[in-house]
Amino acid sequence: MKRDKITITIVIGLVCTILVAVMLAQFRTIEETDIIGIETSREEELRTMIASWKTRYEETEEQLQETDQKINEYKDKAISNDETKALLEEELNKTNMLVGKTNVTGEGVIITLTNNEYSEIEYTDLIALVNELKLAGAEAISINDNRIINMTDIVNVNSSTILVNEERIISPYVVKAIGNQKYLSSALSLKNSGYIDKYTSWGKTISMEEGKNIKIYAYNQEGKKGSMEFKYAKEVE
Amino acid sequence: MNKNKIAIVLGIVCTILTIAIVIQINTIKRTSSTVSGSSSELKDEVLKWKEKYDNAAINLENAKEELSNIRESSSKNDETASAKEREITLNNNLLGFTNLEGKGIELTVKDDPNAKSENIAPYDDISLHIVHDGDLRSIVNELKNAGAEAISINEQRIVTTTAITCIGNVIKINDEKVSSPFIIKAIGFPESLESALNRGGGYLERLNEAGIETTIKKLNKVQITKYNGVINSKYMKNIQ
Repeated sequence: MKRDKITITIVIGLVCTILVAVMLAQFRTIEETDIIGIETSREEELRTMIASWKTRYEETEEQLQETDQKINEYKDKAISNDETKALLEEELNKTNMLVGKTNVTGEGVIITLTNNEYSEIEYTDLIALVNELKLAGAEAISINDNRIINMTDIVNVNSSTILVNEERIISPYVVKAIGNQKYLSSALSLKNSGYIDKYTSWGKTISMEEGKNIKIYAYNQEGKKGSMEFKYAKEVE
Repeated sequence: MNKNKIAIVLGIVCTILTIAIVIQINTIKRTSSTVSGSSSELKDEVLKWKEKYDNAAINLENAKEELSNIRESSSKNDETASAKEREITLNNNLLGFTNLEGKGIELTVKDDPNAKSENIAPYDDISLHIVHDGDLRSIVNELKNAGAEAISINEQRIVTTTAITCIGNVIKINDEKVSSPFIIKAIGFPESLESALNRGGGYLERLNEAGIETTIKKLNKVQITKYNGVINSKYMKNIQ
């Protein structure tokens, strides 16, 4: 009788210990992995990727329709010389605008960077700003009315003079950008990580205003070699 | 009597524990299955939009070629028309919409091969030994200053709207991921391009001091591929 009781107690004890151990192990794994946390961050990344591919698809599709329409116009209308010329003129105006050969207007932002007693604006600050503006979808940019084209370089002459397109400029640096006004201004004024907060915290003087009718001048080709023509590059298939 | 009591208590304890375990297993299964289910749906959607974009990009490439052919053929009989046609073609070359070839350089920039956490001294900073987005922007700027006519980094063409950025530790150019080694091609006068980068106190010297490996080749033929994206003009308009 007594022995029986002892065996039963031992068995019960063992079973209970095993079950409790299993439960504890389960609790620990759940706490450690935090499955939901990992999965939601990956989900967010996937959603950003979807949005980015979707935008690129839509832009490409729109451009495709525009190009197809142009092809049809040439096929239908380009029978007389005058009509051909009109079509060519239209395409030329559009590509001249994209390259930076024309004066343009539109909504956007104007950012002013000024030297102060303690900190001067450096050429690298301007390169970084131009990069931020391009990332935020700027369609046209100028610095002190020097148009930023594809091959524009920004270099320093000395601590207070910067060269843009081989033109000397000094503080205040007025950077104009045309594009989605809300998008441009919110990208630059993100709390802490945005360009304005970051550079202000480093002691730079920067201000921004939004505008509905910002004017950006054409690239000034006068007296400049290259930039709008090729000496070395040739088109290939 | 005593035995029965023990058996009942035992039974109750076992049932409760078993129920608890079953509930736990069930919750784990449910949460993980729903989450991974929706994330695989999202992955499918990413692929779906990427495929749609890829198709549209191919169609656009073909359409552009057809347009350039029809433009050329319908303007060839008239001098002013063909002058305009040549200007449009030049603009498209400048914008980066065509493949280009010419003299130039090919520069390779590679993270310090010894930049592994176990090799780095405690006072050293590993981030000094890898190539950053700012380094690429500076190199591109130097090349433009030295008269480069066209530039690409790992086949990503530098166009007027190109941003070179870093999110987390991923460098993106034209919204595409790129990573070390970086192969930077530039068309232009090879000697100017090379000396701009190689000069004493120049940018490459600074990178080399940090253990980043660079090599420059001057070439008679550099091929730079076109930009496959779109350059938007939704917000700007021409004025006189």
